[in-house]
Amino acid sequence: MLKEPIKLNMNEVAYPPSKEIIESARKSLMDLNRYSEPEDIERLLGLLADYSGVPKKHIIQSPGSDLLLREIIHTYSKGRKIVIVSPSFFPTVQAAKQFATKLISIRLSPPDFDLNPDLLLDQLNEPCLVILDNPNNPTGKILLDRKMVGSIVDHRDVLIVVDEAYYEFSGVTFADMVQEHPNLAITRTMDKAFSLAGARIGYMIAGEAFLDAFSSFYMILPRPSLCAAIQALKNPDYMRRNVCRVIAERERIWNVLNDNLAVPVYKSMTNFLLIKTDVPDMVGKLADIGILISDLSNQLPSGFIRVSIGNREENDAFITGYMKICETYSKEKF
Amino acid sequence: MKRKIGLIVNPVAGMGGTVGLKGTDGEMYKKALELGAKPVTPERTKDVLSHIRTKDRITLFVAPGKMGERHVEGTDMPYTVIGKVAGDTAAEDTKRISEEMVNSGIELLVFVGGDGTARDIYDAINSKISVVAVPGGVKVFSSVFSVSARAAAEMIEAFVESTDVTEEEVLDIDENAFREGRLASRLYGYLLVPNVKKLLQGAKEASGISGSSVEWKKEIAVYTVEEMDKRVLYLLGPGTTLKAISDELGVPKTLLGIDAIFEGKSVGRDLNEKGILELFDKYEKRKVILTPIGGNGFILGRGSKQLSTEVIKQVDRENIMVVATRDKINMLDCLRVDTGDLDLDRLLSGYMEVTVGYKEKMMVKVRC
Repeated sequence: MLKEPIKLNMNEVAYPPSKEIIESARKSLMDLNRYSEPEDIERLLGLLADYSGVPKKHIIQSPGSDLLLREIIHTYSKGRKIVIVSPSFFPTVQAAKQFATKLISIRLSPPDFDLNPDLLLDQLNEPCLVILDNPNNPTGKILLDRKMVGSIVDHRDVLIVVDEAYYEFSGVTFADMVQEHPNLAITRTMDKAFSLAGARIGYMIAGEAFLDAFSSFYMILPRPSLCAAIQALKNPDYMRRNVCRVIAERERIWNVLNDNLAVPVYKSMTNFLLIKTDVPDMVGKLADIGILISDLSNQLPSGFIRVSIGNREENDAFITGYMKICETYSKEKF
Repeated sequence: MKRKIGLIVNPVAGMGGTVGLKGTDGEMYKKALELGAKPVTPERTKDVLSHIRTKDRITLFVAPGKMGERHVEGTDMPYTVIGKVAGDTAAEDTKRISEEMVNSGIELLVFVGGDGTARDIYDAINSKISVVAVPGGVKVFSSVFSVSARAAAEMIEAFVESTDVTEEEVLDIDENAFREGRLASRLYGYLLVPNVKKLLQGAKEASGISGSSVEWKKEIAVYTVEEMDKRVLYLLGPGTTLKAISDELGVPKTLLGIDAIFEGKSVGRDLNEKGILELFDKYEKRKVILTPIGGNGFILGRGSKQLSTEVIKQVDRENIMVVATRDKINMLDCLRVDTGDLDLDRLLSGYMEVTVGYKEKMMVKVRC
């Protein structure tokens, strides 16, 4: 058992923020008795707008994108059918279940987990709020392309929100379509690629239709979070280097496991991998040796687990532990 | 106060798996022995016993010889032997000794075996007492089984500490079909198990989603009843989710059979194919409500003799409604049909709407 557990269960990035980011947040602690400065809030909005390639008025910031998604669902659930996929980002599923007056989940089935476009378009015959995570969590798969998004936004009674929490890892975005399509919004987070999970900075790149409802959604972000986010956006190359490291590690784990084990590890466009295992209670067995991963039995058939990509040392510990457990199980079974 | 717990082990369960056979029904047991198969269940039994931390609160009753006694000898648990066995053990021994144990006053029966053992236990004790089912075979399909020996020990502890119970499925698997690579199963019955869902085979708890399986069934039932059309004859298939619908209507339901409802009233119970077709002569508009049975998602299988191809053809695909709780649907890759008529199976394939909650539906792929 390791002294400190290796946390590969929350899709955090293992690399800490840069020294400059930490220093900026640290400095802000001296003024914790004060609310965040309005000019800092405006500055962050400007930086997020530049980073996303849209005018500042389209940016809505929030402490975490999950809060935004919840607010969107709450705001639009009356009189609209909510359409989501299953499995999906769990807070979205929870909020949809809580607020929806009519909810349709489209099941993404193993082994391919593809989204059937016709099935989705067939649902859009009445006012809808469609929320899709792209890439999907927990499958790591890209579900949408431009043509598909174009077909959805053509339905005037439909609002579509694409959750791009893992955009920096996938490189796939529809943010540039927002100005042209008022019924499209993108949600993103700085929790993942920017190594700022503890700061909780989420934002929405909102089409006009969303701006009407969210213009009064004014969240004052905590001062240290605000300063950390500003510093991170001033030098996004630090984040980009970390993203490259995560992707390289992701592919290394994928190759090692696929070369050595018979069970599938799914291709991913995120900072996590979806794995199917035939070892019962793999999550518990890994926890016993100090490695935390996610159990997906609340959304997928038994045997599916999700592991976040850590640093090289953490990933080595996971690979060794995982393969040893598989080997032991194999011997016990036969 | 100590709890009285019984233990029965099927000594041949799982032996087929070690030599590449599926199941040990009938002649397959002899074939498994010829191939050098070794018993699997003794180790499983010892595993369960070694993980129980509340041994001092249990009075153990065991079946004789290799059906239990032999595996408890040498452990720190005192026990009383119930019943007698002569020579090779058989299903009849399991049934007889289970009954004797119930008559001796046990409150929980722990058994180690496969789907066949679960059926024998069901035949003998039905829902008189609760059980903890430990999978002894390589593959079990009934959701009554715990996920592992350790999980079984936790369930026993939960029972000792006092927990409520829930009904879980016992399936009848056609082992001959299974050996041919085809899964033909039917719902055989329900056994009561300690309500610790996450420890059960293929029935993981939907953690993070509020509510319980019973509440979700109620949600489904309320919505389904609200949506019912008084001009339509409804056939309700087997399963507890369908029973929740009839409970909501206040009409009786046979748990394993097909019942008919019209204008909120029962118009046929435990119907066979002939009975259903006779009702079809009388009622022009009809719908069938089904729920997936077992861990493989069959909504229509060859085991369902009442819902024959003729019946299904007279209903039409759009009039087949599927209901399932979230935890059930989440554990499935897809829904499946195997009516024995390939053309009909193809027609039923594709996506179907499944009611999973109040005004909540999921589009799920149906495969054949």
